[in-house]
Amino acid sequence: MAALNASRRRVVVTARGLVSPLGDTPGAFAAALEEGRSGLGPSALATWNGCAAVVAGEVWGFAPETYFGDRNVRPLDRTSRLAAAAAGLALAEAGLAQVESRTQPVGLVLGTQFGSLKTIAEFDRRGLTAGPNYVKPLDFANSVINAPAGQTAIWHGLVGLNSTMAGGATAGLAAIGHATDLIRGGHAEALLAGGAEELSPEAGLTYGRAGLLAAAGSSPVPFGAGRRGFALGEGAALVLLEELEGARARGASLFGEVVGHASAFDPSMGQDPWSAASALGRAVRAAFADAGLGPGDLGAVVTGGSGSLELDLAEALGLASSLEEAAEAVPATAIKGALGEAFGASGGFQALALLEILSSGRLPGIGGLGEPEPGLALSLSNRPRAVNARTVLATALGLDGHAAALILTRSDAA
Amino acid sequence: MSRRIVVTGIGMVTSVGIGRRAAWQALLAGRRGTSTVESFDTSRHPVHQGGEIKGFRPDDHLKRLVPAQIGRASQLGAAAARLALSDAGLDPEALDPARAGVAMGTTSGEPQEVERLDDALVAEDLAQAGHGFVRRYPCHLIAAHVAAEVGFAGVNAMIPTACAAGNYALAYAYDALVNDRAELMLAGGADCFSRITYTGFARLGAIAPDVCRPFDKNRQGMIPGEGAAVLVLEPLDRALARGVEPIAEVAGYGLSCDAHHMTAAHPEGEGAARAMERALRMAGLAPEDVSYVSAHGTGTPTNDRLESIAVKRVFGERSPRVPMSSIKSMLGHTMGAASAIEAAVCALAVAEDRVPPTIHFEEPDPECDVDCVPNEAREMPVAVAMNNAYAFGGNNASTVMIKWRP
Amino acid sequence: MEVESIRTKIKEIIANVTNLDPAKIGDTDSYIDDLNLDSLSLLEIGVDVDYAFKLNLPEERMRSLSNVEETVALVLERLSELAQPQPEAALA
Repeated sequence: MAALNASRRRVVVTARGLVSPLGDTPGAFAAALEEGRSGLGPSALATWNGCAAVVAGEVWGFAPETYFGDRNVRPLDRTSRLAAAAAGLALAEAGLAQVESRTQPVGLVLGTQFGSLKTIAEFDRRGLTAGPNYVKPLDFANSVINAPAGQTAIWHGLVGLNSTMAGGATAGLAAIGHATDLIRGGHAEALLAGGAEELSPEAGLTYGRAGLLAAAGSSPVPFGAGRRGFALGEGAALVLLEELEGARARGASLFGEVVGHASAFDPSMGQDPWSAASALGRAVRAAFADAGLGPGDLGAVVTGGSGSLELDLAEALGLASSLEEAAEAVPATAIKGALGEAFGASGGFQALALLEILSSGRLPGIGGLGEPEPGLALSLSNRPRAVNARTVLATALGLDGHAAALILTRSDAA
Repeated sequence: MSRRIVVTGIGMVTSVGIGRRAAWQALLAGRRGTSTVESFDTSRHPVHQGGEIKGFRPDDHLKRLVPAQIGRASQLGAAAARLALSDAGLDPEALDPARAGVAMGTTSGEPQEVERLDDALVAEDLAQAGHGFVRRYPCHLIAAHVAAEVGFAGVNAMIPTACAAGNYALAYAYDALVNDRAELMLAGGADCFSRITYTGFARLGAIAPDVCRPFDKNRQGMIPGEGAAVLVLEPLDRALARGVEPIAEVAGYGLSCDAHHMTAAHPEGEGAARAMERALRMAGLAPEDVSYVSAHGTGTPTNDRLESIAVKRVFGERSPRVPMSSIKSMLGHTMGAASAIEAAVCALAVAEDRVPPTIHFEEPDPECDVDCVPNEAREMPVAVAMNNAYAFGGNNASTVMIKWRP
Repeated sequence: MEVESIRTKIKEIIANVTNLDPAKIGDTDSYIDDLNLDSLSLLEIGVDVDYAFKLNLPEERMRSLSNVEETVALVLERLSELAQPQPEAALA
């Protein structure tokens, strides 16, 4: 591994872009997390007509014209608009908003669970109610799960490599990991990577039916002793990844370096919490091996804890086993209590949180956390903490057995 | 020197045959798998032909998963995975599960679950709507079910890049092995027949009324189909160490994006040509080295014309003489499975020096100046086979298989 | 149905696809050259117009349209066709 590390191309984060329930700039996002503000509320977007209001992390007041001016956004559904908005913000921060300003093609690897479930389902219902000849052609074009990545590429002229990764709550981290390997392998020089997801009445209805959501009127508390489930969320968050030398040559800002990532799978598909924990633990250990680092180097963890009864427990067990004695010493947190579980977007949000921790040395607390579930060998707090963070880790565990880990370092640390 | 990655097993579930041998023999024989749609009512649609797999019995293949508990695309994918492992002579129980991974591609995941949800919602039967949906619908379940069926606990990637997804999954699996993230990968694609997909393509006027005729002057469109293919990939040294002869070597891939239009390809085939050129560059090959091309070849007037332009950009004067067939003439367009099945075809073509035909070919089209291997399979030396796939969203992917030599 | 209300409805449909102010869509503006509509958007407009006026038009007739004026004319023509009593042979 060490020999591999010495010769391989290095991948750095040179820009960020997000639209989230807690704002659309990295600064606003970080401030809200630091203050423990919640982005959740009763969401009409997530509520099926006539059902009780679903509490969710909506991108409140999302106004496409803020990001797109008077260009026609009709061909883009909400997921695509969120993705294209975040991509535009990241490209602007990088100084690469104009196609002419790019010396290398920029590509995109987008994590998403659904693309747009609402678009797919509405397309189908129109066929049922109006007849198959009256389905909407523009909606059919968006019914493919890679539509948000394709639409974002068209919108911003991203002629570089373009891909989409699914994987539920791990999709965003998996996309960043995949993009990293593509740059390391010389298949791309600059890739936007992260994820996007939208709220929809269909998601609100079906996750409610599955008994996975926090009870009406209660807020999800990741790792809380009395947690009952998670909230749904939405948004988009992307980082611009570039090969280090190329980024330096163009004088890009360096917000951090992607030094390690990995994924693993629980063949019980979440039915056995120990098996799920084992998958998460293997992903973390493999990410450390990829980085040539160990738990002793770690300054902070942004877990994927969401308030889910089973997944939070499995994630904590997996972290404890893979971090060994560092587990109880390294400050850990979870941001999905404030943002909701935004699936594809979640990994992007976690990556942005890691970058903020690297720059500020501040780890947000878990809002509302009174007593953590007993026996979790993690260092959790409901208050923000100062951390000595040169190396930070994000983890995620999906409902169906997917596990992912991502390790970033301060770019001056290398 | 990068690790060499080889194909050591193939599983195919198609409308012309299930299993490597049955499917390959049927494709070489030029058998048509499309027929009148039976899985839903098409009486209000303008077209009625589809590529359904009518004789698929998941119970014949699945050993761990209960077919009734998983969606049809998962059933097709997991069956293909079982067939591929058996073809590779591998006992999944004997592998290190943490080092065995899965990468699958799809267009629609499990769209029949959305259809079930919508049926209940349209019937205003809210009490019945959405139960079990979140555990049956998300597309990552295809890769999850493949891995759960065979007990693989390593890398698990689901790549929903529509009709190029099989090639994307193959590329992902290749990298996972080269980067030592796994020592064995199952790579493929799966999609099931779906009212949503069928209705959409019908509305676009893209579906042929009778049969799919790629590159024919009178072609009238594609025919949606379903299927799955899974390839076993492993590093060459591992394959040799366990004493198996590789079927083919994966030499390279090229991915590109048109960033032009959601449903229309670039008018000069620009992105498609870039994907082919990248794949050849990565493989260390020149266009003149290519013996056979498995075309995207959907049979729509536009696709086949633009694809002919794209191959001309890459192969130049030689392009009319490069054998380039489309098995979509037989299977229809199996969406995310298509380029996985076609990758399997490329591997078998280099292994056996035979290429499948484009059937239903009658009249050449001056706008498609290609040798589409009309109607009859051809025995010919195949050292290098290139597999092209293009998708909604402007996602282009080409992969290259070469004959394995020690 | 009045010509003006047909025209207004058609412009609403186009506005929904193009994000343009309906008042700014000229009767003779070319769908392709002035409004920059691609084939997918044109198809969407055709589907919506057909549905709004219950025209049940064959695809080919919708495809040849190039502006609002022609679309209004086609809708009027089709509505009058549909208002005609069906010939007896067709009923048989």
